[in-house]
Amino acid sequence: MAASMKCAWARCLSTILLNSTKHRCQISQPLYASCSNISGDSGNDEIIFRKGEGGTDQTGQEAGLADDTKKHRRDPGKAFTDVRVQKILLRLTGLDLDKVYEYRAAKGAGVAKVALMSDQQLKKVYESASYKALRKLQMPPVLGAREPIDEVLSEDPELEGLNTSKLVFIDISQRVPLKKRTIVVREPNGTLRKASWEERDVTLQKYFPQSGRKIGLPRMFQQDNLECMLDDGKHEYILNRACSQFEIDDPEYIRVTQRTYEHIHSNGKFEDLRSTRHFGPMIFYFTYYKKIDKLLVAFLEEESLEDSVDLVKLYHIVHPSCKSAEKVASMPDPTPLEIIGAFAEMDATQKSLVQQAIQTYEKECDSTDSTQLRR
Amino acid sequence: MALAIRFALFGCTNRPFFHIVVMEKRRAQRSGKIKEMIGSYDPMPNQDNQKLVAVDFQKLQKWLGFGAVPTKHVAELLGLGGFYPIHPMSYIKAKRKRKLMEKQPADMQAKEEAQETEAIQVNEDTQPVSTEDASQ
Repeated sequence: MAASMKCAWARCLSTILLNSTKHRCQISQPLYASCSNISGDSGNDEIIFRKGEGGTDQTGQEAGLADDTKKHRRDPGKAFTDVRVQKILLRLTGLDLDKVYEYRAAKGAGVAKVALMSDQQLKKVYESASYKALRKLQMPPVLGAREPIDEVLSEDPELEGLNTSKLVFIDISQRVPLKKRTIVVREPNGTLRKASWEERDVTLQKYFPQSGRKIGLPRMFQQDNLECMLDDGKHEYILNRACSQFEIDDPEYIRVTQRTYEHIHSNGKFEDLRSTRHFGPMIFYFTYYKKIDKLLVAFLEEESLEDSVDLVKLYHIVHPSCKSAEKVASMPDPTPLEIIGAFAEMDATQKSLVQQAIQTYEKECDSTDSTQLRR
Repeated sequence: MALAIRFALFGCTNRPFFHIVVMEKRRAQRSGKIKEMIGSYDPMPNQDNQKLVAVDFQKLQKWLGFGAVPTKHVAELLGLGGFYPIHPMSYIKAKRKRKLMEKQPADMQAKEEAQETEAIQVNEDTQPVSTEDASQ
């Protein structure tokens, strides 16, 4: 089903783009202010990458992207931004032009144009539409929750009693990135401290409003309301709104997205997000937290072997120390089914389920082969 | 004339709002002769019990370089913000309020602050010099 959803044209194009040297899987910096430090530039004092990385190289190939220690649980960002991971996620997401360009009731959504074109012109239009669609499919990064800000600049107990309310100072100088803006708070007890993340978000939204954001938490993201939305099946809407409302490393964003992924997992509705920009992060979430069994079964049931193998390969990149990764590395030339089989045997949490799915797939393959032979 | 970094009172009745501006010290604040607006100060606390102060520090430093002098209250505010050392009047006011608090209940504190806002209004809102008007 996945194969039929992708139009042959777009699939061809995305393969070309993935293999070309011009197209690099990088997170677009203008789109997300919070990931301006992820490309791994030296000299950036992003808190996430300061934590105990000590001596690992930029691509993280030696260190092992998700070591089974407590450290990695705080920092999926490093694994996510690995080029190999990005390529696999892009492949898995696919490119269904009909879905990407689906009509959405939104401001600025225009009326569709109808034009008479030659075959060549049509080809060109498809090309440019596919390039633009790839931009629409840029994935919001998966990061660890940001560390709380806890810096006191000055203690002045002699100012006690001057004010009953806090004084919040923000620097509104021009051309300063949002994340670097200084915001400090003078408490009634005289302490001058840096503003917390929540205070920062609210104050920045007041002085430098971003479209699609509300000051404070929208009621939709409160636990009960979120559950209602999820039961209505509005996964894509929730994820899109979370993306525009929160910063990517906001604990609220992580809570909302993870809850949405879990809901999708329990209902098995993985295909809802296929060919959207949230498919990659969802797959990565399951892979990072070792919950890919149901997903693997879903792919096998659709008879997309490539997707299944991609998923297992992704698992091996993110968890290089796992048993099946080592086994596959030792095999001289493993077939796709062998790779999946190795994973099912050694690392699957629901071993029987996955192995049954593999067997069903093999039977289906044999039966289709035999019917083709008969023809 | 003295170039000052001062408050300019805007807002309306019972709702003060100050812009932090660069203009000559003894001019009427709503005369339209502001050289540059470099920030704002909202003396009424919001829902989170915060008073918001925004300052364009780059411009502030530029005008200080041109010889602009902050007024007393602006200097106090900047001291509380950490740009300047804390103004001695901040310490004095704090001490006076603590003394009052010992004698009077907490709701008088809010009254004191309201009176202080009025004090800023009175200081910043100066009459235009009459000779200038005559020459125009």
